[in-house]
Amino acid sequence: MLPPVTRDAQLINELYNVVLALAILTFLVVEGLLIYSIVRFRRRRADEMPEQVHGNRTLELVWTVVPAIVVAVIFALSVDTLGRMTARGTLSNPVAHVHAINDQEARRRVERAQPVDMVIEVIGRQWIWQYKYPGGDGVITNEELVVPANKNIRLDMTAADVIHAWWMPELGPMIYVNPGQMSYVWFNVPPGEYIGQCNVYCGVAHANMISRVKALPQAEFDEWYAKQAAATSTATRPGDPEAGKQLFMNSSCVACHYIEGTKAQGRVAPRELTRFATYPTIAQLDGFENNAENLARWLRDPQSVKPGTAMPNLNLKAQEIADLVAYLQTLK
Amino acid sequence: MASISIPLPLRERAKTGLLGWLATVDHKKIGIMYMVMAFSFFLIAGLLGLVIRLQLAAPNMQIVDAHTYNQLFTMHGTVMIFLFTIPMLVGGFGNYLLPLMIGARDVAFPRLNAFSFWITLGAGLVMFGGFLLGARSDASWTAYVPYSNKTYSPTIGMDIWLLGLILLGIGSTLGAVNFLVTLYTMRAPGMTAWRIPMFGWAMATTAVMILLATPVLTAALIMLVADRNFNTQFFSANQAQLWQHMFWFYSHPAVYIMILPAMGIVSEIIPVFARKPLFGLRAVVISTALIGLLGFTTWVHHMFVSGVDPVLERFFMFTTMVIAVPTGVKVFNWLATLWGGSLNLKTPLLMCIGFLATFVVGGLSGVMMASIPIDQYVHNSYWVVAHFHYVLFGGSVFGIFAGLYYWVPKITGRMFDDKLGKLHFLLMLIGFNVTFFPMHHLGLLGMPRRIATYAAGRGWETGNLIATIGAFLLAFSVLIFILNVLKLRNGQPAGDDPWEGNTLEWSTASPPPEYNFREIPVVESERPLFDARWRTSHLP
Repeated sequence: MLPPVTRDAQLINELYNVVLALAILTFLVVEGLLIYSIVRFRRRRADEMPEQVHGNRTLELVWTVVPAIVVAVIFALSVDTLGRMTARGTLSNPVAHVHAINDQEARRRVERAQPVDMVIEVIGRQWIWQYKYPGGDGVITNEELVVPANKNIRLDMTAADVIHAWWMPELGPMIYVNPGQMSYVWFNVPPGEYIGQCNVYCGVAHANMISRVKALPQAEFDEWYAKQAAATSTATRPGDPEAGKQLFMNSSCVACHYIEGTKAQGRVAPRELTRFATYPTIAQLDGFENNAENLARWLRDPQSVKPGTAMPNLNLKAQEIADLVAYLQTLK
Repeated sequence: MASISIPLPLRERAKTGLLGWLATVDHKKIGIMYMVMAFSFFLIAGLLGLVIRLQLAAPNMQIVDAHTYNQLFTMHGTVMIFLFTIPMLVGGFGNYLLPLMIGARDVAFPRLNAFSFWITLGAGLVMFGGFLLGARSDASWTAYVPYSNKTYSPTIGMDIWLLGLILLGIGSTLGAVNFLVTLYTMRAPGMTAWRIPMFGWAMATTAVMILLATPVLTAALIMLVADRNFNTQFFSANQAQLWQHMFWFYSHPAVYIMILPAMGIVSEIIPVFARKPLFGLRAVVISTALIGLLGFTTWVHHMFVSGVDPVLERFFMFTTMVIAVPTGVKVFNWLATLWGGSLNLKTPLLMCIGFLATFVVGGLSGVMMASIPIDQYVHNSYWVVAHFHYVLFGGSVFGIFAGLYYWVPKITGRMFDDKLGKLHFLLMLIGFNVTFFPMHHLGLLGMPRRIATYAAGRGWETGNLIATIGAFLLAFSVLIFILNVLKLRNGQPAGDDPWEGNTLEWSTASPPPEYNFREIPVVESERPLFDARWRTSHLP
């Protein structure tokens, strides 16, 4: 297993190792008996007739009861581990049940489950994760979940289209993220960068639906957040094609879009972008002329321009839009 | 061996040639057709698997694009389960062997039997024909809603896939009814419950499972067809788990439908090649029935991270772990049958040993995964891919090959080349483990299943490369089997009973005549042929 960085992941890891040891023991017993029998009891004479043993009640009782005890131990250990994990519900505090009922009482159970310093709303959609930060600044990121380190973080997650799954192996339990339902994950991690990816098959770019968590010390986080908040509302400088390219290539754009000779090898969007600037229209929409203003509008909210388009609203910040427009207009 | 004379039914002279196959209601010919069909689908789905392994051999491979890859793994899983393993074990071995083993001249409803086969073949052709013509589903074999609804899977491929499965369900259900009636009403005189061969018990349990589980899947499939085409709302967006409940209510028992007949095969072969009775026959029978029963109480373990009630989860964790006990009893009883025997290490027994050695790994990883916290790590990862291949290839496929090496001499009247068989066994055992063992490790490193490609730098390169090399070794071993089948034409004549068998099929000619037995044998023990041989050689 990957080295655990949260207490929950640590608990899973410890349980895994204990159960694995029991499994290896059983494996050795079975394979040992098998190999010994093959060597020791192979037929030596064509006419030999072994003793005709039909069974042995004592022996059979032993290999019914002993495995039953081993299984009971594994069950007890598992229940115990579940009880000690913060991220999933215990019997007295069944957070997981929230999925099924999704009401105010359930909500309160989630609040009680674990004191938190920050709640981030997560939306899973084909084929990105979007992170909405609390507070009125409208900060939303698509690529990376940046959190303060050593703080209790809760993710309130839902899906916009099909089922996805949140799986960060180092950070604790995996959970499905269902449309129309809420899933919750808690973690508290030291500074560092962690990677995982969607773990329920969700369509053509499923393999590209990566999730990244970056934990920064509080001061650095605050600095990062202030920058995001500022960039969300207004662009602070004119669009920079190089910054736009960086953004494009390091984001989920590449999951669906194709630009020859780059990392963008997605084949979901109907037209490739290799020579985007030469196209007369955006999104093959009659009358929607390909210019900077329209392109910015499209990037801000594709659904309002062309309802039903596969292009999601990426909640791009003003500066990001300016940079992307500058970059896309260099594609000739 | 005692026997009673029942006049042969007056039949038209058996038709020969192509029409003899197309119009047949003979359980043996139907069984052979099932086997040939299933094995063909095994080869096709195996080839799809090789493309999958090639694509994953290294990071960022572009052998096929992501869309095609998704169609390939969907079809690989669907074909292996529904068009190979189940028809091979239930339709193929079940049809050919059940009447022979219980001393009957055919199944209870021969025409219905033929209908089952043709509808199964038809379903296979619909599904695979659609695939070849471009109507392909890419929703994986589990087809989770809402991905499989009209919004996210708009193409006709999904409907074709659903139609194919509905048809297969009909064939499979009718076959199960037929087997149960046959077993209940047509056993030879003297064949009391405890004298039914173990394979018969395995098939009886399997048939009951098919009867109880298949209607639920069929209902779910029809509801999804309605959702897609008539705008019903059975699986509306806020009920993500309903499909999963219905799907796994069939598809978890389906695992036992695929493994119990293989266990039945192993339980027949080991006693013959050890020259000992099956150790603790009654315990094995009861364990089989218990596995069948408990198999219906475990489906939610596929949904431990889907978001179901935690009390429910703990209940299903318990039942899933409990099923390890009867499974363990069977494994230890097989080991005890080998112990102290006189082991004739021919290919059929080697395949059974391969079954035991590898199935145990899948069984143990199954218990591990039943633990909810562990499942929260390994669920849907390559660890799971390793687990179910250890159960379904290590278990079912080794069992199928054991059965083929054991009974094809009865079916064709010719012996396999045993040396070639041993080579096949050795390469398959190595190839299988090289392919699937590293996948445990890949899963622990965070590699999800069903990804069309992956980026470099996450430690997945070596494991994937090894697995791909193993897959080609595995494929090569199957080629050796095909060579062995082609060589059958010149094989040694098998005679009635080449292995010193225990059960009634070895008392008739190889291949058996259309009516199976001229005189219906009277059964006086669980091993009628063994006892008959013993009497001839030891009594004055």
